[in-house]
Amino acid sequence: MKNQGTHKVRKGIVGFLMNAVLLIFSLSCIFPIIWMVYSSLKEKRAFNADIIGLPKNPTLINYIRILTNSDYHLGQSMWNSVRTTGISIILIVLFSFIVGYILARVKFKGNRLLYLMFLMGMLIPIHSLLVPIYVVFKQCGLSDRWFTLIFPYVSFGLPMGIFLVEGYVHGVPVALEEAASIDGSSFSYTLWHIIFPICRPILVTVAIIQIFSCWNEFSFALVLIKDVGLQTVPLALTQFKGQFASDYPKQMAAMLITMSPIIVLYFAFSKQIIKGMVAGAVKG
Amino acid sequence: MLTSIKPKTRTILLYLLVPVAMFVFTVFVPLVTALVYSFFEWKGGPRKTFIGIDNYIQLFHDNTFWVSFGHNIYLVIACIIGQIGIAFILVMMVNSKLVKFKGMHRTFGFFPSTISAVCLGLIWNMIYHNNYGILNWFLKKIGHPELCKVWLNETGLVMLLVSIPLIWQYIGYYMVIILSAISAISTDIFESAEIDGANGVQQALHITLPLIKNTMLVCTTLCIAGNMKAFDNIYVMTKGGPGTASMVMAMYGYQVSFQQTNMGYGSCISVAIFVLSLLVIGGSQGLIKYLTREKEA
Repeated sequence: MKNQGTHKVRKGIVGFLMNAVLLIFSLSCIFPIIWMVYSSLKEKRAFNADIIGLPKNPTLINYIRILTNSDYHLGQSMWNSVRTTGISIILIVLFSFIVGYILARVKFKGNRLLYLMFLMGMLIPIHSLLVPIYVVFKQCGLSDRWFTLIFPYVSFGLPMGIFLVEGYVHGVPVALEEAASIDGSSFSYTLWHIIFPICRPILVTVAIIQIFSCWNEFSFALVLIKDVGLQTVPLALTQFKGQFASDYPKQMAAMLITMSPIIVLYFAFSKQIIKGMVAGAVKG
Repeated sequence: MLTSIKPKTRTILLYLLVPVAMFVFTVFVPLVTALVYSFFEWKGGPRKTFIGIDNYIQLFHDNTFWVSFGHNIYLVIACIIGQIGIAFILVMMVNSKLVKFKGMHRTFGFFPSTISAVCLGLIWNMIYHNNYGILNWFLKKIGHPELCKVWLNETGLVMLLVSIPLIWQYIGYYMVIILSAISAISTDIFESAEIDGANGVQQALHITLPLIKNTMLVCTTLCIAGNMKAFDNIYVMTKGGPGTASMVMAMYGYQVSFQQTNMGYGSCISVAIFVLSLLVIGGSQGLIKYLTREKEA
């Protein structure tokens, strides 16, 4: 009896400790955002006087200043990011689907070679391409255009997409296409009207993974985009850092604006997003 | 023949043309270009002089580059221990029956890995800032103002300080991967272990760990590949400084190519990053396979 009592107490302590550790960890993950949200409502002077306290006179002045001052180009950067990310996602999904399906189903000379080529694309440490990609794009007149970043984003996103689709198509019975073919469906018709709807779940996964990586991508944007009017959101943020070095509330407001699409998307679809990202990481 | 399964070669070519052309142009053309220019002296201007393997000889004696490489390895090791180790421990806790709010831990924990490295770098800059940073505020609050520092200027500490955000950012990510692997294990195993009197730690080490070995290998590989290309965080937080105290390979290549506009040598560094990263990733996988085989025998 006594033994069981101490056992229960020990269990209680262990349980409490584990809950505490996990809570601290979870809160640490979310705290920086919360800190930024309420600090961005402070004026610079109020923030410098008390960095951690809640704002006494909350104000939206930082947001108004950032969004109305055209020197910061934040609206333009947001639009650049939306456009680049949007077009890249559409192309990645489309290309992954086409190439993935063909690699999985169609036998032709060079099929395995192509497969290997995209596999290599996944293994290549992309940061070794930072300098050479700049050189090539500069020489071809492709750097500093509105569509410049779509090239690297699509190319680096493709391999994982292709492998996810390829694996998925292997699980689809061939009988489906055979039946369609007997009914007189052409290759393209089968591809778009029969296979595409079946592959929708995996294509959503591909899109989810790539939305985050395109929106957040920094190094290639840094190298390939010099025109202030064309820069994407992460690039714009590094410039803010220089411009308002000691004005943290303003910096926070700018960061929150650029993060808002990601935050909304994440908390609206966190289950699917987590599942998709993990599937991509493990299978890819 | 069935045309939907065996389409005309022309159809296939048409479908493949654009994606393959784009991929080759953005990935393989630059790789070959880098290889070619790595044999030239080229300061960014119109003049390029063929100098054979001089760049590679210079690289071999370039202390900064090897220091950077060392820092990449430091990050890899710190993150394998920090990210995967801590993630595993936290997962063991989350899986316990005594823990509440499992869904919340997963959602919140995963969140930082969806935020851009630039934003996180800026946030951690704020945390480390000497006047307005949370870290110094905290030290003052607990009565140790003498410990306050301009943190990112500390040569000896800076690598540790830049790896903390990296580790923290991805703990939740690895937690979720490990969690999904564990959920595939049949619960019978744990139940019978419990009846046999195995405690939580024993179960974790002797049952769970061996069963999710493959997932742990995937995590390790992801971790190595991710940290060999560390750049964004470093660029935002320290730009490799103070001096070269937090320089990593990609950052050094960037500086040589764009700040010193030494494109020839920059190309040579790019080739070196390519080769070294592949060597480290391949080598570590071989090593892990060798080590785990030994245990089974």
